[in-house]
Amino acid sequence: MAARPRPSSDEAREALRDAMARLAAGDQAALEEIYRATRVKLFGITLRILGDRKEAEDALQDVYVNLWQRADRYDPTRASPIAWLAAFARNRAIDRLRTGKVRAGAVGIEEAAPLPDENPLADVLLVDAEQTAQIHKCLGALDARTQSHIRAAFFEGYTYAQLAEAADVPLGTMKSWIRRGLQRLRACLEASEAA
Amino acid sequence: MSGTDQTPEDGVTRDDPMIAAEWALGLLEGEELLAARGKYATDPDFAWRKEWWDGWFAPLSDAMQGAEPGEHVWNGIAARVTAAQEAAGAPAGDAAAGSNVVALEARVRLWQRVAGLSSVAAAALLAWVALTPSQGPVAPPAQIAAAAPMVATVPIGETGLRLDVTYIPESERMVVAAIGLTPDGVHDHELWLVPADGTPLQSLGVVEPGAVRSMTLPAAVVAKLGDGASLVLTREPIGGKPHGKDAGPVVAKGAFSRV
Repeated sequence: MAARPRPSSDEAREALRDAMARLAAGDQAALEEIYRATRVKLFGITLRILGDRKEAEDALQDVYVNLWQRADRYDPTRASPIAWLAAFARNRAIDRLRTGKVRAGAVGIEEAAPLPDENPLADVLLVDAEQTAQIHKCLGALDARTQSHIRAAFFEGYTYAQLAEAADVPLGTMKSWIRRGLQRLRACLEASEAA
Repeated sequence: MSGTDQTPEDGVTRDDPMIAAEWALGLLEGEELLAARGKYATDPDFAWRKEWWDGWFAPLSDAMQGAEPGEHVWNGIAARVTAAQEAAGAPAGDAAAGSNVVALEARVRLWQRVAGLSSVAAAALLAWVALTPSQGPVAPPAQIAAAAPMVATVPIGETGLRLDVTYIPESERMVVAAIGLTPDGVHDHELWLVPADGTPLQSLGVVEPGAVRSMTLPAAVVAKLGDGASLVLTREPIGGKPHGKDAGPVVAKGAFSRV
């Protein structure tokens, strides 16, 4: 592909939102547009969670085929399209982990494919900056231990049992730590919404 | 994994928003995951909260390094989209109304291929298939109905607590989630299927408070689990209805509907 000027973050988000709306209206060409704009970010997610290139590519296919089948699931009035797609991709990858076929694990640096020079939109299709700052702030307010376990669950796709084993604590202890953390996280996020 | 959390020593209430958070983070597995998916399909508050958490966690993925998938990935997507359209006999763009069945079947086939699925995993995936309510202008065709899980909610009096019962036809498995209920030490509660055809009630066993349990249903029960079947919950001595005695008082009831 020829290099082209990079759109600004807002423009990229609006272009994606528009493509999602067209896909929901039955415009199949919109799917390729969405794929081109989001594949690097979403593949980064499925690869990180699944830790296996082949599995991550299969998961990525599922994400887009599923998106095409049910584009109407995305509500443009509620979520930023890239946030929604990121959650969608991560959920699909986690689904795969939980079917028991794939082992969870972080991706080694050498396994991650190099980014193309163009780096299509990976750097601009970030989730809303304000929201990003808030979740980091609320997570940062938790004690370091709880924070690290919640992050490990998010980034590595670990279950309670895996987290407990890694930390060498009883399962019940790990559940307590994380649930207390989630409770405080919720209170912090809700307070930010009310503000 | 244990489906039970009966001895919370942490003082944290494991209410629905908490379960939604655990699910959004990806911590749930097995029957708890299955139960959460069933609840998502039937409980708008729970679905809203799951998406609320998804939305808040999403920015964290900005820290995941992007990666370029292989060239063949897009070709595979395009091929599957084309195949689904051809199977539907519909031109591009007409997928919304008529091809739900094809899309659904394609998804089921895909998932059967994806993993050498255990029955629990298969049930979980089928539940996932049916998660998204049909918004098409046509009634769901019979093939969808045959594959769709049946879900019943049994509210417990004015307590705000409820049983969530999910039945997946293909697997002949039923999942009973009694999260939030606590044993009183004196009674057990027994769940009964009330067939639509007026034949006698069939026991589905004693409910385990605070737990999510799945069971494989005997054929005699499966045969009665059609549209219009409902559930009642009776209060019994510990261990369930004593043999030879009448069942205790009905304390709650609910009806099945297809997702």
